Amino acid sequence: MSATNVKRILLVDDNPLFLKILVHAFTKSGFECASCFSAAEGIEYLNLNTPDAILSDYEMPGMNGIEFRKHLIKDPILKDIPFVFLSYITNSDLMSEGLDLQAVDYVIKETPVNVIVSKITNLIDTFQKQRELSVQEIKRAAIALNIRTVPKVAPVVNGFDIDFWHQAYQDVPGGDFIDFIEVDDRYSFIVLGDVMGKKWVAWFFTFSFLSYIRAAIRFGILNRDFSTAGILQKVNSVICYDNALKDILSTMSLLMIDNQEQTVTYSGAGDLPMLHYKAKSGELEQVGTDGLLLGLFQDGGYTELTIELQPDDELFIFTDGLIDYEDKGEKKSDYNLFKAKLDSMLKDKLSFQQIKQNLIQNLSPDLVDDCSIINIHKQ
Amino acid sequence: MINVIKEGPKYIVSEVSITEANLSNSDQFKAELISLLDQHHKIIILDLQELKYVDSAFLGALVSSLKYAISLQLDIVLVGLRTDIKDLIKLIRLDKVFKIYNYADDALFAINKD
Repeated sequence: MSATNVKRILLVDDNPLFLKILVHAFTKSGFECASCFSAAEGIEYLNLNTPDAILSDYEMPGMNGIEFRKHLIKDPILKDIPFVFLSYITNSDLMSEGLDLQAVDYVIKETPVNVIVSKITNLIDTFQKQRELSVQEIKRAAIALNIRTVPKVAPVVNGFDIDFWHQAYQDVPGGDFIDFIEVDDRYSFIVLGDVMGKKWVAWFFTFSFLSYIRAAIRFGILNRDFSTAGILQKVNSVICYDNALKDILSTMSLLMIDNQEQTVTYSGAGDLPMLHYKAKSGELEQVGTDGLLLGLFQDGGYTELTIELQPDDELFIFTDGLIDYEDKGEKKSDYNLFKAKLDSMLKDKLSFQQIKQNLIQNLSPDLVDDCSIINIHKQ
Repeated sequence: MINVIKEGPKYIVSEVSITEANLSNSDQFKAELISLLDQHHKIIILDLQELKYVDSAFLGALVSSLKYAISLQLDIVLVGLRTDIKDLIKLIRLDKVFKIYNYADDALFAINKD
């Protein structure tokens, strides 16, 4: 379903007059219509667009409706768009051939146009409801299993205030994950990552990532290895060896707080550079490390930086959803623009609570990705 | 989504026809790119000048296709990137794994020189 909740339909028919009648009826009912005179034109349209339903004539010159459906069924995304055949033919064999191809329904062309529109509307609503039910069921299962990719509360670390904000794409838990690991009285770790790819699939993979990270941190500590770069390399090696994760890539920012020395050590894997607000000078500085996405190559080339924070200094780590914005209907990404906005809020002495409020208020209604940001404030 | 516009002995030049590359089309993009690598078995010079926005799902698809290309001892070369997209690629260090040129001709010159 499109983000604006306007239903979008692709109408395919070689009869220009009938197509015009359909477009008129669907538009009148609030649909956004795309019309094509042939299956080939329809395929071209579907290369760039994903409508909520497809209504296609059965008999067309060139590729007929059955061949059109056979073509779409090969595509992992297009095959799931509700597809309805439209025809004068009432041959039951042809109908069953169409339905064997997982077409959702069959409409006889003599059916009044308003009935066709109602049928498609109900069909899209049913699909949407089924999706919502599936989402609810997975959410319930996740709660029952007590698995979370974002913690409920931030940790309490002596000498620091730690807080975060996370907004899932369309409230569906996605690829962003956050973890806080308190190892002992001295060391705490902060993890922020984004599994790149399909939202629900990404969500499941984050559990594997989190398990590997937790294990790598625990093993590191047992061996008295307090290198964030070393931990990232260990996680990366395991991921590169794991066949189940071979096509999955993830960013990660890893921070280790040493509250005895009052320092923060930072390593990144293909993450957006961290921002360091220096209270004394009022400057907001970009802090980047080397290091490639987890799962890309066996040697990720990770490096680390140890930062000594002064009183009221702040660190911000965030995922790419935060640097997206919309300008005249076009989506764009601009790290420097986000940095400038944050800089301005910090210059206005806004607390992280107020910054969170500001980010929520300015969230694009067409948000296309998860948004996550973690703030570390040195007391 | 990916159109081949030129083919040479070692490479194919192709252009991406979408303006917004995100979760909704990243799977299809990857499938087409993998299919091009399988069919032609050549270095792919990918012209992305039409692209105005990319999300992490698309970048993931691009990198995953590069891994596949490398496994075939091939490569994917990026050209025609808008400044903001090139900046994003540099920020997340993908400029270390992709060869990036301003124009397809620059990439062709480099490939032919090797």
